[in-house]
Amino acid sequence: MPHLVLDKISIHYDGYPAVERVSIDVAGDDFVVLVGRSGCGKTSLLNVAAGLVTPARGSATIDGRPITEPGSDRAVVFQNDALFPWLTARENVAFALRLRGVRPAERARRADELLALVKLGDAGDKRIWELSGGMRQRVGLARALAAEPQFLLLDEPLGALDALTRERMQTTLLDLWKASHAGVLMVTHGIEEALVLATRIVVLAPGPGRVVRTFEPGFARRYAAGETIRAVKADPAFAKARGELTDAIVEGETA
Amino acid sequence: MTIFSYTERAGPRTEEAAGLSVPWSRPSPKRRGVSARMISAATILLVLAAWALSARLQLVSPVFLPSPVAVWNKFIVVVSDGFVDATLLQHTVASLGRVFAALVAAMLVGVPVGLAIGISTIGRGIFDPLLEFLRPIPPLAYLPLVIIWFGIGEPSKILVIAIAMLAPVALSTASGVRGVSQERINAARSLGATKRQVVRHVILPSALPAILTGLRIALGAGWSTLVAAELVAATRGLGFMIQSAAQFLVTDVVIMGILVIAAIAFVLEFTIRRIERALVPWAGRE
Repeated sequence: MPHLVLDKISIHYDGYPAVERVSIDVAGDDFVVLVGRSGCGKTSLLNVAAGLVTPARGSATIDGRPITEPGSDRAVVFQNDALFPWLTARENVAFALRLRGVRPAERARRADELLALVKLGDAGDKRIWELSGGMRQRVGLARALAAEPQFLLLDEPLGALDALTRERMQTTLLDLWKASHAGVLMVTHGIEEALVLATRIVVLAPGPGRVVRTFEPGFARRYAAGETIRAVKADPAFAKARGELTDAIVEGETA
Repeated sequence: MTIFSYTERAGPRTEEAAGLSVPWSRPSPKRRGVSARMISAATILLVLAAWALSARLQLVSPVFLPSPVAVWNKFIVVVSDGFVDATLLQHTVASLGRVFAALVAAMLVGVPVGLAIGISTIGRGIFDPLLEFLRPIPPLAYLPLVIIWFGIGEPSKILVIAIAMLAPVALSTASGVRGVSQERINAARSLGATKRQVVRHVILPSALPAILTGLRIALGAGWSTLVAAELVAATRGLGFMIQSAAQFLVTDVVIMGILVIAAIAFVLEFTIRRIERALVPWAGRE
């Protein structure tokens, strides 16, 4: 099973420490979520894993190989979808395949499969500006999956969506995680979102960014085992976990 | 006139120009039942009426100001019989041919130069000072040098127009390249794109709206350089037609030629806006 390891990572911006000695370990079947207030370096850490930011100290590796630049083994989905407006939804999804020189008929077939997987089966010919925010994020996810990554790096992918769309997208994310066999490292501001999705939650505190606590909520596995998200959220254990997680984030802030 | 119209066109920054291509960034044309279009039509009619009246009353000698009707009649005559050995169509085709040949040349050089400026520090270091040097020089100033170096043939005329077009094309392309969202580039790289693939599949299409705006500005600059380019040793062309008519004080042909040049500039502008909308339907909708 592939292993993404961030080991004692420190990140400096203009000489100031933004993140100090943070270690995060994502296995191929993990859904790791980073939470914490603004300025704790969540996105910076994700960018180190993506190969977009070079840490000042520490090492980032996949199966022992150092991460030095972006690669399709770690596909990133950003908060603003970053889709290509000159391409249709299908062509966007097929982008990674086109880069690899896959033949047009084959990549259209693969793209349609992935669009069906994110429940956009009939939107292949749509232009990007014809899609709603939630649909765009689905296209973004399908596009990332087309690269057949070992890890999905999600930078607040649901941050720009309304509450109802967010909830539906959470189930989509869990379905994709199960179907793609990719490990997930995700950044979010949403406390409930973290609890629903994560197999492990890493709580970070700012000034400079460091890990204050780690949770291992079982709710994502329960969804994977067949329970609905509504049922999971209604469980008193969920409310208790939400309280603990909120406390950890607030404590980290004042510590 | 050529000098002034050139510098005015070269002046506006590409950011402003890019804003113009977004259809709904302009003020609403409707205002209290009177559209801007109606006011424009009234203005044109008023100018025509003033022109007709002053010609009618002979405020100015017809040698200097022929009546609109005389100009229209001359238009018919030049269309059918021609002026200085060529019909109006032949003059127009000669001029359009030069402008479009220059446009192709300016694109072939300007777009890669603009890409180089936008993408690499070395490219910017090399080409920025050259373009900034070239940009403010009026075509009439380098026309003599171009003739000394390249003779009085067709290539010199095309070159003069192409030089006028180069800066708008290159600078628009460069500003388009610099405006490409970093997130889009990062997304492509994380999908496995090499640097070369990022340029071809992300940067170039992202900069396309700005490139097309540059072409539109360049076409305007080139068209207004036309008369200068046809000053020397031309035997055909709208600019040449006006020049020859002026030498013999055939004022009606001069005015007719100016109107034809203006009309063609209008049609070109309109056409290229249509092309922009067809090629870049996502402009303003992202």
